[in-house]
Amino acid sequence: MVESKTPAQVEAVRETRQFEMDTLVGYILQDGVLLSLGLIIAGLFWRWFRTGTLTVDYQITGMNLFEFVTAEVRLAVHGAVEPRLLINLGIAVLMFTPFIRVAASVVYFFAVLKNWKYTLFTSVVLIVLTYSLFLR
Amino acid sequence: MSGMGGGVILIPALTLLGVDIKHAIAISILSVIATSSGSASAYVRDHITNLKVGMFLEMFTIVGALVGARITLASSPRPLYIIFGLVLLGSWIALLMGKHSALVEVKKQDAFTRWLELEGSYPDQALGETISYKARLAHLGAPAMFGAGIIAGLLGIGAGAVKVLIHDLVMGLPPKVSTTTSNLIIGVTALAGTSVYLAAGLINPGLAVPVILGVVTGAFIGTRVLVRLTNKAVRIFFLVILLILAVQMLARGLRGI
Repeated sequence: MVESKTPAQVEAVRETRQFEMDTLVGYILQDGVLLSLGLIIAGLFWRWFRTGTLTVDYQITGMNLFEFVTAEVRLAVHGAVEPRLLINLGIAVLMFTPFIRVAASVVYFFAVLKNWKYTLFTSVVLIVLTYSLFLR
Repeated sequence: MSGMGGGVILIPALTLLGVDIKHAIAISILSVIATSSGSASAYVRDHITNLKVGMFLEMFTIVGALVGARITLASSPRPLYIIFGLVLLGSWIALLMGKHSALVEVKKQDAFTRWLELEGSYPDQALGETISYKARLAHLGAPAMFGAGIIAGLLGIGAGAVKVLIHDLVMGLPPKVSTTTSNLIIGVTALAGTSVYLAAGLINPGLAVPVILGVVTGAFIGTRVLVRLTNKAVRIFFLVILLILAVQMLARGLRGI
């Protein structure tokens, strides 16, 4: 026998899922910022052990975030693992944090809440952000 | 500590240390991602932030931020100093006049805002109860937030004060929901602006690293210092700082730096 849910039960389920989404978004933001700060601080300490200074003295020439990350990973793969790798990854993680928050929201509105309106709105935000991250 | 974003203080301070204003704006908006995401994380988990309001308005603020950052890249430094000085002066006047009048509860939603499902409830720990609310006038809030996005991207600040005003006065959100949702929106808006400045080669890690660590530490210490100070002392401190920075930025813009 299939039990039909009362409107109150449907509302309670919707509210619970909304609360779960709040928790997910909150942890993405918190963990992203903490990971970013951890990488930057680790990179600085590594630099201090290696050179005796905490000063960071290099430039990022005009490139988008994806090129920025790819360039660092390529250097690491070729054995050029340096403190700046951690520092740059820290900056990249910081920039990716709100991006991942929006991407997770798209998935949650689509797959869990099944709210098409907000799936569309968050997708628009994600598309514009993706465009901005590809800017040159 | 003041409830203002750090950018309004950080950018004038960096320019006084000899940093070019466009580099200062770029670094500031990057650091805004850290401070806003850090504080937003707690408010979202406490279920005070309204994610739907945030997601809807972000569509407009991020486009505004992209436009604003492009204007900065095309502009010469002098107008940036003048606009920044005027924004500081506006913040000073807002602080001098104190908080605006209490919120009027939205009894009846317009059809568009109802269609957008912009309502909710949050646990108010001070009152010990759950407060339900409805937003209104989303069709006016959206273009206003586009304007707030332009200010954020143009000047490298969160423009939280402008966003909160729009939430409060236009959309009728309760103050706690208004400030916490503004915090959420600021992070994504700042990312859009930062992308433009990164592509333009204005993000210098040598400057970004100490600034990011400095503002996060400052925000952490600030919240702890705040509880030891009286509201009056905090207000007087920031009234003096804002006025000095506003006059200094305007003078540099008008004199030609």
